[in-house]
Amino acid sequence: MTRQDPPWKVVRAFALPSGSLVHLHNVSGGVLAGDRLTLDVEVAAGASAQITTTGATRLYRHRQGAGDSEQRARFSVGDGAMLEYLPDIVIPYAGSRHVQRTEFRLGTGGTLFWWEILAPGRLAAGERFAFERLRIQAGIYAGERSVLREDYVLEPRKKDLSSTARMGEYSHTASLCAVQTGRPAAFWRTLEDGWNQIARDRTQPGRTVWGASTLASDGVVVRGLSGSGRGLHDTLVEFWSMARRAITGEDAVPPRKIY
Amino acid sequence: MSADMLPTGEMALLRLLQLADSALPIGAAAHSFGLETLADEGILVPEGVEAFLRAYLEEAGAVEAIFVRRSACGGDVRTLHEELSARKLARESREASLKLGRRFAGLVNQMWESPILEADLHYCIAFGAAGAALGIPTDAVVLAFLHQSIAGLVSACQRLMPLGQVAANKILWNLKPAMARISHSEEATCFSPYLELASMRHGSIETRLFIS
Repeated sequence: MTRQDPPWKVVRAFALPSGSLVHLHNVSGGVLAGDRLTLDVEVAAGASAQITTTGATRLYRHRQGAGDSEQRARFSVGDGAMLEYLPDIVIPYAGSRHVQRTEFRLGTGGTLFWWEILAPGRLAAGERFAFERLRIQAGIYAGERSVLREDYVLEPRKKDLSSTARMGEYSHTASLCAVQTGRPAAFWRTLEDGWNQIARDRTQPGRTVWGASTLASDGVVVRGLSGSGRGLHDTLVEFWSMARRAITGEDAVPPRKIY
Repeated sequence: MSADMLPTGEMALLRLLQLADSALPIGAAAHSFGLETLADEGILVPEGVEAFLRAYLEEAGAVEAIFVRRSACGGDVRTLHEELSARKLARESREASLKLGRRFAGLVNQMWESPILEADLHYCIAFGAAGAALGIPTDAVVLAFLHQSIAGLVSACQRLMPLGQVAANKILWNLKPAMARISHSEEATCFSPYLELASMRHGSIETRLFIS
């Protein structure tokens, strides 16, 4: 590690069978209005890293006069390197305004596992889509080639998120991407089939739906929609475990913490 | 009077009408882009089609409108194609867009008797490039694409659920102001996870009417 400034704190690195596990801790307890957080990670050629957070990413209420809070994370995964970026759930509090930008750049044979879970707010406090604005931008690149691009804006007061064209009756979103540059398309179709088998087994219409697809190249994505955050993490681990074995020949090692 | 003697605007309009006609033989009628899953599960019903398509326009429709415009304005079609492919997470819908683009380009090149369009482009990018090549005003090209796109989805709904001709045409009529507004979208943002999931899950429907 070359530099860390508050509120980020890298707790420590634990040894894994291959590589290291790093816990990222936001010591302020969440993202405050006007915060500009930057995370730059370089996984050197041939290295392996698993990065997680110590708890949910809480997006606090917007404060008048402050800009939208922002979290920008950039990951460089070198030739033959592997990154597992497995943060906890993102919870946008009532009145929050936030921008999240996440970018992954993979070298030749670089591997990525990345999941993301988004809650509608603090449900226990009666908040459900009470945030003001949330913009999510994400990109995965294999060299100069775009593998995945996402860019969306959620403004619950302006656009009805319960539309069937958006989230329908569900409140939580989850996704997991498994990418390795250079694999043939047929490999990913096989993994898509395997993921869709799990997706069918774990889908309970009205409660949770899952579906998987190959990406434009070099990987697969699984998406989930649910009426609750419960169970999403465990199902993501199932998808991740299958992909980890197929891609690396090794078992997934979940981050050391209690969910 | 030969084609090159007609006023430019008239020729442009006539060509655009043909390119945006649902009868254009490119296979568009075989795709529902995930709507079949939603209809099969009873999530999308006739009473909800108009509101669904209005939200669809604000999300996926806005992105497609922007890519039509970028292509029609001379953007690099390969770069646009790669970016759009990366944005389309559901394979079936991504492949459907590519299939329609290929057939559209093939047809236009044959009608024009010259390879004015690249072969492997998403439909909206090929449509925009055709508009530019044929000298059709950009705003009209974007509007025509959105209109044929929504008309195609309405037609799919008519085959998936008890939606009559009058009701279907009223939906298409009512959505025109939204199409006009969306045609000027500037931010290519899209949040449609339920529809993406419907497309990803389409292959698991036992009896399917549509390819996508």
